[in-house]
Amino acid sequence: MPTPILVVDDSVMARKMLIKALPSSWDVEITQAGNGIEALAAYRAGKAEVMFLDLTMPELDGYGVLETLQREGLNSFVVVVSADIQPMARERVRQLGAIAFVKKPVNAEQIEAILREYGISL
Amino acid sequence: MIDHLLLTPDQRDALQEVTNIAMGQAGSQLAQILESFVQLSVPRINITESAAISTGIAQLVGTPQSITAVRQAFNGTLRGEAMVMYDQDGCRDLADLMGYEDDLDGAADRELLLDVSNVLVGACLNGIAELLQAKLSFSAPTIMAENVEVGRLINPQQLTWNYALLVEVHFTLEVRDFTCHLLTLMPEESILTLKSALDTFMENF
Repeated sequence: MPTPILVVDDSVMARKMLIKALPSSWDVEITQAGNGIEALAAYRAGKAEVMFLDLTMPELDGYGVLETLQREGLNSFVVVVSADIQPMARERVRQLGAIAFVKKPVNAEQIEAILREYGISL
Repeated sequence: MIDHLLLTPDQRDALQEVTNIAMGQAGSQLAQILESFVQLSVPRINITESAAISTGIAQLVGTPQSITAVRQAFNGTLRGEAMVMYDQDGCRDLADLMGYEDDLDGAADRELLLDVSNVLVGACLNGIAELLQAKLSFSAPTIMAENVEVGRLINPQQLTWNYALLVEVHFTLEVRDFTCHLLTLMPEESILTLKSALDTFMENF
């Protein structure tokens, strides 16, 4: 069965870049969300076994999504994908339960390495 | 009449994302300088007519009582002006964060604003240029205005273009009420170059 994955970014372009960087062998069902509110709705609908999450977004940002998931008992692999390369941003999202941090623009090898590290079958 | 200058929704989205990526680099450098966490904004984009430049700027940066602005011109594949704007508290906060004494004289204060602006403009615009495979060179930063209203920052009658693209990002510090805006202005011929550079960039995805 394909793995439900959720790609969250306010930019269509950024979502396309991320989707293109996913391993081609990975059997996935992709859902997209344009902000944190949409992301949480998709998550609650079971669309996010793995979530790729941007930080800077209108409505509800990535930190807000992580906080909500943590409050509700996080059971999704969240990979934060952000242009914010401050060490403190990295630290914060880890504390909020994200498994990894990927810097934009994304790179396919890096994403594959993270997924393999977490034992996600590709 | 300006239809050919307007960005398509895809171009706008791509410019926003490219700016966002570049802004991350600028924000990280600012965080290092100030030893403080910097919050990034969602980039805002607008096209303005020269006569309406003041309104255009006010829509993007708001209307603080008075601002001090540093400008830097850029040339190359794209041509335009980058302006970094600080409100009055922003200037004081910056000096304070850098550990300057209260009795800071004007010259040291200005030098600090110029240095910080130079870092933000360089990181942000070079980041955009790199992603779009453009080449830019920059003039030295200069103080454009001190403690003026946003509406008085630019005199529309001195402008040599009819339409310009404005891109605004701002950096906010969590620890105190500090915000500075980076506004990039590109006149019409650069808008066309930018549009085609964005199209080329998007073809990769």
